[in-house]
Amino acid sequence: MKSEARLPFYLTMQYLRRGRKWTLFLTLLMLTIAFINLIFVPALFNGIVEGTNNQIINSMTGNIFITPKEGSEYINQKKETIASLKKIQGVVGTSAQTNIQGQLKYNKISGTWQVLAINPEEEATVTNISQKMFAGKYLDKNDTNQIIIGKQIAGGEDVDENAFSFKNAQIGDKVILNGNGINKEFIIKGIFQTKFISSDERAFITEKAFNDFFPSLENKTNTIILKTNNNVSEDEIISKIEKEKINVQSYSWKEVAGTMKSVSESFTSINIIMGFTAILIAAVTVFIVIYVDIVNKRKQIGILRAIGIKTYIIIFSYVILAAVYSVIGVLLGSLIFQFILVPYFQAYPFVLPICDATLILKWTDFIARAEAMMWVSVFSGLIPSIVVTKANMLDEILGR
Amino acid sequence: MFLNILKAKNLKKNYQSGASVVKALNDISVSVKKGEFLMIIGKNGSGKSTFLHQLALLDKPDFGEIYIENQKVTNLAEKEKSKLRLNKLGYIFQEYALITELSVLENVMLPAMMIGTTKNAKKRAKQLLKKIGLINKSNRLPSQLSGGEQQKVAIARSLINSPKIIFADEPTANLDTNASKEILNIFKNLNQKDNITIIMVTHEMDELKYASRKIKLSDGKLI
Repeated sequence: MKSEARLPFYLTMQYLRRGRKWTLFLTLLMLTIAFINLIFVPALFNGIVEGTNNQIINSMTGNIFITPKEGSEYINQKKETIASLKKIQGVVGTSAQTNIQGQLKYNKISGTWQVLAINPEEEATVTNISQKMFAGKYLDKNDTNQIIIGKQIAGGEDVDENAFSFKNAQIGDKVILNGNGINKEFIIKGIFQTKFISSDERAFITEKAFNDFFPSLENKTNTIILKTNNNVSEDEIISKIEKEKINVQSYSWKEVAGTMKSVSESFTSINIIMGFTAILIAAVTVFIVIYVDIVNKRKQIGILRAIGIKTYIIIFSYVILAAVYSVIGVLLGSLIFQFILVPYFQAYPFVLPICDATLILKWTDFIARAEAMMWVSVFSGLIPSIVVTKANMLDEILGR
Repeated sequence: MFLNILKAKNLKKNYQSGASVVKALNDISVSVKKGEFLMIIGKNGSGKSTFLHQLALLDKPDFGEIYIENQKVTNLAEKEKSKLRLNKLGYIFQEYALITELSVLENVMLPAMMIGTTKNAKKRAKQLLKKIGLINKSNRLPSQLSGGEQQKVAIARSLINSPKIIFADEPTANLDTNASKEILNIFKNLNQKDNITIIMVTHEMDELKYASRKIKLSDGKLI
């Protein structure tokens, strides 16, 4: 068998084995950095989007947000409804949240915030409020005159909307809740901070305390939130609820996320634009690095042409070289990303006003960018090698 | 059997130098017989290297025709010229022109890999390296050899596909006296024992004794 077909691979192997080690090292370093840059941006934005989404789910809406059927003010037979919902496969937590239409008053400051009556134990199966206590303690189901308030209500110098808060209310301070024409004094048992402003603008009391205001609503509620298993989609659970003919209206968290949904969507849009820009930057970097490398081998290419090596072999050997560069760059970049950057940012996340973001790289993003890198590299090898093999052979050999 | 292995008719080559045109080759015709050792001499800038490059198909004349074994080669496509260079012609440059990333053995066997198996290419390359006394350095890189040794490797490479003509462009210009003598003796042997036609450019008058014929160029003309 003639060796001609193997010659491009043979030449590439020798370039890599015996080429200048520093040039090889720097070329691979550049390609590795270019690839890390390429995947860092989408991973960061995915991290922010994922972090924001998790904040919405974990601190506010759960995975599924259930309201009364249209035309009804309450979900009647709360206990039975919750029992039915718990039976649905994939539901791992349920919590009824009954919204109290009323005002909170602290010293001379009063305002309208969302005050929700909950079963604290059930709420902990859906949201993470119980784990986000900034000061004091979470509610106990037997509490009757205790309230927990969000940091945005409590206020303080580090609070975004301090002007519209209690301006530094403390644990043990008294607040008055006015609802249904009744004023009731509560003691601040805890202040929670999820870092998600909408969540931190709420207050919680127990269902037991709520019954003092609305004894007639004991087995009624206006919201139930569900936590679902990660392996099951929200849409699947919603269709199961409909199939079970449970008399409620179910929404996925995305449908009730409100402004946060558009924040999340904005990040997704920015991610696409930034991703495109990162690909362009990587493309230019990779092209320049490989172009310079090949143009520096002009003399060598001229010699190969002079001794009768076919042009396609020369071009193919440099295309393979560029492809090998990019495979190694992608590989090293991925390893550094996965085993250094991801763990680092998990330990020290980006602290943002809405969430703590880590790096999350989706497989689709990784593959798309690795493919882009490969194609750019192949073109970066192809174009200069075609140009050089078409130039004057003597000029190349004599370095003119 | 061809009487003339190479024939050049009315070759002209001009170069642009600023606003003026330099006539590097001005209507040169020459015939080279098979088995000749032709030396081209002349002062710097006389056009001798330019002439060799045209004959060796490394460059294309502006006007004129070149025949190798009676085949007109001047207007051949680059692909055909490449094939001809690989199978029938051998090259030795002043600067050795070895591939720096390939070992001595790999440099020599490279052109043979284009037309045969790696195994045969390696076998033939080893024979040639033995012949020129470099078999014990076959795994070294060109940078680990002296100038004379590198030029010997270039000679072995030029011989790998059993060429009909070897073109050498001032092959001893960068070598000391002893290395030059060694190279010229190799050429003499190849010419006399193996009947290989050699066309060589030189500016060293004492090298002319190795040639069977010499031609002299001055200002792009044969004199």
